Amino acid sequence: MSSTVLELKGISKQFRSVQALKSVDFDLREGETHALVGENGAGKSTLVRILAGVYDGYDGEFLLNGKHVHFHTPKEALNAGIGMIHQELSTMPVLSVAENLFLGRQPLTRFGTVDWKKMERIAREELAALGFSEIIVTLPLGTNSLGIQQVAEVLRVMLSGAKVLIMDEPTSALSPAEVERLIQLIDTLRQQKRSILYISHFLEEVMRVADRITVLRDGRKVDTLERKDTNINQLISLILGRQVNATLPPALPEATERDHILLEVKDLSGGVFTNVNFQVLAGQVLGIYGPIGAGHFDVARAIFGMYRFDRGTIIVDGEELPGNFSARQAIKRGLAYATESRRRSMFLDEPIYRNITLPHLPRIGGFLPNPAHELEVAVPAMTRTNVQPPDPLNPAGKLSGGNQQKVAIARWITFPPKVLIASEPTRGMDVGAKNEVLGILRTLRNEHYGVLVVSSEPETILAVSDQILVMTHGRIVAQMENKNLDKDSLMRLI
Amino acid sequence: MGAQAESTDVKGEPAAETKAIQETGRGLWIRRLIAIPMGWIRRLIAIPMGWIRPLIERIPEVWRRRLTTLAPVWTLLVVWLFFSLQTPSFATRANFNNILAQVATPGILAVGMTFVLLTGEIDLSIAAVAALSAEVSVQLYRVYGWDEPIPLIAALLTGLLCGMGSGIISTIIRVPTFMATLAMSLIAEGLTLWISRGRQFFYTEISPWTLWIGSKKIGGTGPGALRNGMMILLCGLILLIGYLVLRYTRFGRYVYMTGANPSAARLAGINTKLIVFSVLTICGFTAGVAGIAAQGRLGTALPQPQGTFLIQAIACVVLGGTSLTGGKGGIWQTTVGVLTYGSLTNGLDNFRNIDSFAKTFITGLVLLGALIVNIVFAGRAPRDRT
Repeated sequence: MSSTVLELKGISKQFRSVQALKSVDFDLREGETHALVGENGAGKSTLVRILAGVYDGYDGEFLLNGKHVHFHTPKEALNAGIGMIHQELSTMPVLSVAENLFLGRQPLTRFGTVDWKKMERIAREELAALGFSEIIVTLPLGTNSLGIQQVAEVLRVMLSGAKVLIMDEPTSALSPAEVERLIQLIDTLRQQKRSILYISHFLEEVMRVADRITVLRDGRKVDTLERKDTNINQLISLILGRQVNATLPPALPEATERDHILLEVKDLSGGVFTNVNFQVLAGQVLGIYGPIGAGHFDVARAIFGMYRFDRGTIIVDGEELPGNFSARQAIKRGLAYATESRRRSMFLDEPIYRNITLPHLPRIGGFLPNPAHELEVAVPAMTRTNVQPPDPLNPAGKLSGGNQQKVAIARWITFPPKVLIASEPTRGMDVGAKNEVLGILRTLRNEHYGVLVVSSEPETILAVSDQILVMTHGRIVAQMENKNLDKDSLMRLI
Repeated sequence: MGAQAESTDVKGEPAAETKAIQETGRGLWIRRLIAIPMGWIRRLIAIPMGWIRPLIERIPEVWRRRLTTLAPVWTLLVVWLFFSLQTPSFATRANFNNILAQVATPGILAVGMTFVLLTGEIDLSIAAVAALSAEVSVQLYRVYGWDEPIPLIAALLTGLLCGMGSGIISTIIRVPTFMATLAMSLIAEGLTLWISRGRQFFYTEISPWTLWIGSKKIGGTGPGALRNGMMILLCGLILLIGYLVLRYTRFGRYVYMTGANPSAARLAGINTKLIVFSVLTICGFTAGVAGIAAQGRLGTALPQPQGTFLIQAIACVVLGGTSLTGGKGGIWQTTVGVLTYGSLTNGLDNFRNIDSFAKTFITGLVLLGALIVNIVFAGRAPRDRT
């Protein structure tokens, strides 16, 4: 039996009125990969942030190698050997790969200048040792794929001496091939006797990489299981603690007036995509599936006027959008866009209700918005999307990631647009929240609005779409009805 | 708390197995050398923080929030209390009148500046635009012989147009506002000098409306009257209008949201360029008003801008707690900032024994202290929910 590296006893953490963690015990052994699973808001992120020194006000005991510790800053945690790889990449894309690996602690020559040769040599050696010898360390990191950037982030934390690596949703932005390489990397790290704390919503991945799995629910630890003693179904029921009741509403038969075209895209070309053609009908969900980098997110942005395209026409409900239109014009014609990046679409310091009502202020209050009227709009929208905790005066930044996504969609359900474009609507969400969000999209469709879902998660596309487009390398390679399709058949097309 | 007291703090020493760091050790002695005093400083700070933290945590949360978000107000009260106790001449009616008269011009400028800073932009041209507007007024009145109200209207229009000019340069031509308004500042300054040909105008040559705005007393002419009352009233009115617009209108909300997260604002359908253009226009307009007010108060039309106006206006806004990066703050904060700034500079005048050559230096230090208190404390607190 390998020794315990890190142990938590009775950890509790309170935010204002919310008890995020309730007396959680946890331990991590040397050289093990320990997965942490649970719904959004179950307390996973809070727990790892305590480990990584981001939060310092908590109750309970924290033992590292048998000694009591209390970190006040991430730097202290890193010095003690606990490094965190963040959900959102925290690398610098314009700096070279080598510079990123040594961010903040470049080797110096005796004159105090940066020792480039040594830095690049070590970077090359370390990458080769992990099986990434093809990476050119002198090129800017941004020229590499997201997967490589993730690897660089892992290596950066490792080189700073971390024995315990915390990975918060490392694969949510990666393509399947990149996920494979990351899993290989984790195996290499395990052989080096490093301990890994792995947070993921992808239970299949968890079952592949983890030695032990800890399930959190509502801030409490439900159980810690050996991987070989459990299975996905058991995990799901432990995570939810109830039967999966947030199932999708039934798909009504598609609208009778099937010829009513709400959105038509003709010969759209620009950037990485060429000759994109499709239609979204009233009462239809069109799903565009493609791996990261296929260009489907850029298409979504282009339709909304946030990405310049070279050629092509976009027709909304019979009206052609003018050349070089802005997002504002797109909204006026009846489009709405929920982005994949919450940071770019939300006002994290502002109360939730303001996030929801902002696009509709002219309709709600004219020139003088009245908070009472705004709340009348925001509260039902929050109830329908089941935002937790349901306090409309809370700043949006206090919500968990999945709940922020719900707010981003809640924004559009009171005054629905003709066509809602949702990019990666379920990224980083647990099963329950995922179904809730997809349920909202389904409801809009049943009410004869058009929905365009753009995603790199085949499960999401398969769950809600009526029609599916498959995009790869900037081109549409297949279009089909969503009948008798499964993940394999989609992935085989790309 | 119990666990925290028992635990040993881990800091300083890197983990033993850091192969990479040890291998790169040639520059290490520099880092070590820095690390030693840094460690001492950190420990020195850690000792009082260890005593203070439990005390702070014992304060109820509502009060903690009041203490932090209202930091600028507490600063203002402390400044007032200090000067009132230290100098007999500070807390007098006449001196408060003085303070108000002194801050009226920066106050008017600060309203426009608040709008601009809330969107995360900046306007460096206000001092020059104020000078140009005042110059236009005096030229039309004195040299070209136009009667009021034309010189006044022309002056306000000048400010408005300069603001619109900056707005067009920064939104349509997409020059960042920092550079666009810097250019506008030189343009306006140069025009002022060119038009005036370096000539000053004095009291009798300045238009009566300008003098009325700048130096009319309120409450008769006796010793009980409010000196520069009209100008103070005007400043108050502009502050009030600014407050109402930012707090209650849709435009005000858009200003905040544009500053808080521009890309999210565009996604929500806000025309952020129009908002930036509008706030620069508003700022130009208030600069025009301030130019007239300053000219009327001084009774002199100078052929060059007053260099302190720009820094004063920005200092007032920031001192109140409005963020330079946008999205946080407001006119209420600016009002407190204006009063604090005015009280600080005025208060030091009341010390008879201060070396007058050292006064600016001392003002700088005191201002720095106030800024640290206001920004550091208020910055850690959540934004007040208006």
